[in-house]
Amino acid sequence: MTGTVQMELEQFTKGDIQAFETLFRGYQGEVYGWIIRIVRDPGAAEDLTIETFWRIYRARARFDPRRPFGAWARRIATNLALEHLSRRRSETPLDDGVLMRSPATRKPDPATGADVRAKVAAAFGELPVKLRAAATLAMIEEAPYAEIADALGISINGVKSRVFRAVRLLRSNLEKRGVCP
Amino acid sequence: MNERDEALKELLKYAAGGPADRELKRDLWPKMLRRLERPAVRVPWWDWALGAALFLCLLLFPDTIPAVLYQL
Repeated sequence: MTGTVQMELEQFTKGDIQAFETLFRGYQGEVYGWIIRIVRDPGAAEDLTIETFWRIYRARARFDPRRPFGAWARRIATNLALEHLSRRRSETPLDDGVLMRSPATRKPDPATGADVRAKVAAAFGELPVKLRAAATLAMIEEAPYAEIADALGISINGVKSRVFRAVRLLRSNLEKRGVCP
Repeated sequence: MNERDEALKELLKYAAGGPADRELKRDLWPKMLRRLERPAVRVPWWDWALGAALFLCLLLFPDTIPAVLYQL
């Protein structure tokens, strides 16, 4: 960590708003980029980025400036994203889940129709939030396991276990819907 | 991952429309400033007093717990 960053972090822990602005501008893209990989909804990701930094700002006195700021921010962002997924799960029907709100677009594969897409989204939406987040990051976003483990606050083996359970459960959910990948 | 898992992964990626676009399109600092200016939600003192009174009441008269739970 360079001396300037260290000084900036120390100023931030003392409540210096300019230091906070510098940190915010330096890390907003990274935090947003991480959150959107979990929630896959640009509007929600923006709001959750703001909420993440709001919590960071409130907890500034507890932050140790010698620790990496990015990892701390990512941990808070992940927890908020998981909370968001849990809330949305109880508010919206499963068919309108994470997958169907994806901001990215891809040319439809003629072998896989909209019906299958909807069934996959519904089956995926039935997964417990923690498994869903691990599977989204590992299987769709192809994030490294170490990165996922760090953000979720679990070991790499823990991530592998969640992905394994997610795959098993997803396959079972898909079979119930007549889809056998 | 075995072949079946790879097929499932491909199906999942297709259904999701691929990885999300991770680029932040605008500066969020003005929105952050508005959030910082918004006063934090505070619980008024009388709400605390009411909670304390209820707690005391339940402590002194435990028979009323089912009645309170019924009202929730």
